[in-house]
Amino acid sequence: MNKRYLLLLLVVLASAHLSAQEWVVPAENGAKLSPFAFNDSTRKAGAELYILNCKSCHGDPGKNNVINLVPPPPDPASVRMQNNSDGALQFKIVQGRAPMPSFKNILSSTDIWRVISYVRSFSDKYVQEIEKKSGRTGAAGLNARILLTWLKEKNQVQAVIMGMKDKITQPVAGTEVKLFAKRYFGNLLIDEARNTDAQGKALFNFPKDLPGDSAGYVQLIAKLSDETAFGETKADTTLAIGVPTYRPPLNEQRAMWNVVQKTPIWLLLSYTFTVLAVWGFIFYVLLQIRAIYKAGVKKDQETAD
Amino acid sequence: MASEVNTGFLHDKRLDSIATDILRPVGISKGFLIWMGFLTISLLGCIYAYYLQWEKGLIVTGLRDYVSWGMYIANFIFFVATSLVGMLISSVLGLIGFKWIKPIARIAEIIAVAFAAIAGLVIVSDMGRPERLPYVFMYGRIQSPILWDVTVVTTYLVLSALLYFLPLIPDLAISKGRIGHTPKWLQKTYEVLSVNWNHSPQQYKILLKSVRILLILIIPTAFAIHTVTSWLLAVTLRPGWDSTIFGPYFLTGAFVSGSAAVIIMMYFVRTNYKLDKYLTMHHFDMMGKLLVLVSLVYLYFNINEFLVPAFKLKTADAIHLHDLFVGEYAPMFWSVQLLGLIIPIILLLFRFFRKPLPMLIISIFVLVASWFKRFLIVVPAQENPFLPKQFVPHAWMVYQPTIIETAITMGTILLAVIIITVLVKLFPVIPIWEMAEEKHAGKNDEHQKSSTTSNL
Repeated sequence: MNKRYLLLLLVVLASAHLSAQEWVVPAENGAKLSPFAFNDSTRKAGAELYILNCKSCHGDPGKNNVINLVPPPPDPASVRMQNNSDGALQFKIVQGRAPMPSFKNILSSTDIWRVISYVRSFSDKYVQEIEKKSGRTGAAGLNARILLTWLKEKNQVQAVIMGMKDKITQPVAGTEVKLFAKRYFGNLLIDEARNTDAQGKALFNFPKDLPGDSAGYVQLIAKLSDETAFGETKADTTLAIGVPTYRPPLNEQRAMWNVVQKTPIWLLLSYTFTVLAVWGFIFYVLLQIRAIYKAGVKKDQETAD
Repeated sequence: MASEVNTGFLHDKRLDSIATDILRPVGISKGFLIWMGFLTISLLGCIYAYYLQWEKGLIVTGLRDYVSWGMYIANFIFFVATSLVGMLISSVLGLIGFKWIKPIARIAEIIAVAFAAIAGLVIVSDMGRPERLPYVFMYGRIQSPILWDVTVVTTYLVLSALLYFLPLIPDLAISKGRIGHTPKWLQKTYEVLSVNWNHSPQQYKILLKSVRILLILIIPTAFAIHTVTSWLLAVTLRPGWDSTIFGPYFLTGAFVSGSAAVIIMMYFVRTNYKLDKYLTMHHFDMMGKLLVLVSLVYLYFNINEFLVPAFKLKTADAIHLHDLFVGEYAPMFWSVQLLGLIIPIILLLFRFFRKPLPMLIISIFVLVASWFKRFLIVVPAQENPFLPKQFVPHAWMVYQPTIIETAITMGTILLAVIIITVLVKLFPVIPIWEMAEEKHAGKNDEHQKSSTTSNL
C-alpha cells in the first residue's frame, strides 16, 4: 500500500517537475500566424533585430554558443526551438519568462514577426502558413500619424492621432495609445494605456522624477495598440522633460583600470619615486666604477714618477 | 664584508697558494669544450622548436583560451624564484655578519645573474607576438602588475650583475699575472675588466662602499621581484590564486629552490675543481641547516595556503583542491610535497645527510620538485576558472604541454646552464682576495687577540 502511495507521489512530483521545465503556451496564442509572408527582406530585417536583441544570450544560430543560463536559452537552429509553432514563438518573445525578458515593449509586433522569419530561415522543413484574414480594416485607414507635445503647466504629454479617411485628414477617435520612455534596456510604459477622445487626443501624466540625459532629454515613443488596423504606427520624439542626469563614465577619472595617462596619482608618485631612487643608486655605483678606474690611473702615474 | 680592508694580505705568502688553487681550473679545457659543445647542440634543437613557435604562433603549444599560462609561466616563476638566493646569501646572511658565506657568495651571485637574465627571456617565450615586446615599454600601464614585474626583474638583474662584478675586480687584478695558461683574449678580458685596479686603499674604500649600497638595495628589490611575480597570479580572480599570503608564500618558496641550486653548484665546483679546501664540510653543514630552515618556513606557508581554503571549501576552491589532493594532480602534488619538502626536512636534520653527496641528491630532488611546484600553482587553477565551461572545446579545459613547448622550456634551462658554465669556468669562482684577507686577518688576530676590522 505504502509503495503505491510512494509511486503516486513520485509520478506527481515528476509531472510537477516537468511542468516547471515546460513553457506552456495557450492554444489560442500558439495558433497565431504572421500577418505577412516571410521573404528575404523580412529575414534581413529580422537578422539585424536578432543581433541587437537576442544574440547576447541565444548566440549565433547553428553554432551552439549560447550563454550559460538556467534554463539554457536554445539555439535558434535547434530542434527544440524549431518545434515551436509560429504563434508559440511570438507568445514567448512577447511574454518572456525568467531569465528571458519580455520584449512586449521593446519590439513592435511586426518586428517580432520579422525576428521569427529570421529564426525560421534555419529550418529546412519549415513551410509558412499565412494568416488568412490578413488585410487591414479600420476607421482611419493606413496613414495614421501621432504627434506628441509637452503641456508644461499640466505636466502632461499630449498625443494627437490623425488619420486619412476618404482623402481627408481627420482625428482618430477611440483607439488605444501607449506612451513609452526609452530606457537603457527596453521601453518604460509612462502612465497607462489611454483611448483617444473625439479630437484624437490622449493625455499622459508624466512623472516629475524621470531621469533624462545630461540636458534632461528623454526619448518618447508612442504606439497605437491596434496594429492589425493601423499597421506599425509610432511616433519617436525627444523632449527635454526629464531630470537632467549626469552619470560620469567609469573611465573619466584617474583609476587603476584607466589608461596610463589617467594613472592614480599615488601610484604614479610611488612608482616613479621608487624607480628613480633605485636607479639613482645604480648609476651612482656605475660612476664609482669609473672612480676606481681613475684612482688607478693616478696611482700608476705616481709610481711612474 | 669588512668596512676596511687590511691590504697586508697582498704581501702574505698564502695569497699565492690560494690564487694558484682557485685559478688552476680557470681557462678553456677539453672537458669545457665537450660540455659546451653538448650544451650548444642541445640548444640548437630547442632553438629550432622556438623557430616553429615563432612561425606558427602559440597554437603549437598546449595553451588555449582557459589555460593561457602553462609551462612557460611556471618556468618563469621557477627562474625568478631560484635567482633570489643571491640576495639571501650575500645580503641577508652577509650583512648579519656570517663569515662562512664568503666562498659561497659568488656562487650564489652567479645563480642570481644567470636565472634572472633567463627569466626575462622565458617571458618572451610565452608571447604569441614577441616582436611586440617594445610595446610593453611604449604603451605599458603603470597600473598593471606586469609592468611592475618587468621593472623589478630588470632592476634585480642589473643589481645582481653589479654584485657579481664589483667584488670580482680585485680578483681580476690579482689573477692578471697568474693566468698564463689561458688564451690571450681571456687575459685581455681580465685586463679590461679589472678597471686599473691596483689595490690602493682608496679603491678598496670605493669598492666596499659601493658593494654595501648594492647589498642593502638588493633586499627590497628581491622582495619586490617575487612579491610582484606572485601578484601576477594573486590579483587574478581564480580559485587557488585568490590568496593574501601569495607574496610571502612565493618568497619563502624561492629560498628553498635557490638554496638547493647553490648546494648543487657547490658540489660540482668542489669536486670538479678540487676546491674542498675552500668549500669545506662546514660549508655544506651550514647550507644543509639553511635549507632546513627555509624549507620549514615554506612548509608553514604551504599549510596556511592549503588548510584555510580546505577548511571553508568554497565551491570553486573545493574543485581545485580536489584536483590537487585526490584528483588528476594528486600524484604530482604529493610527490612534490613529500620528496621536495617534507622528506628533505627530516633527512637534513641528521648530520649524516648534511654531507656533500647526500646533500647533492636531496637538493636535486628539492630543485626538480620546486619546478613542478610552480607548475601546480599555475596550471590547475586555470583549468577550473570562474567561467562557464560546459560548452567550450575540451582542449580549453585540460592542459597538455606539447613537445615543442617542452623543448623551448628545456632550452631556457640549457641557456642558464651555459651562462653558469662560462662564469664558473672562465673567472675565479671563489673570491681570492677575501679568502686571503681572512687568512691574513686570522694570523693578526692570533697576535693581537682582537679584530682589527669591524663588521658591517
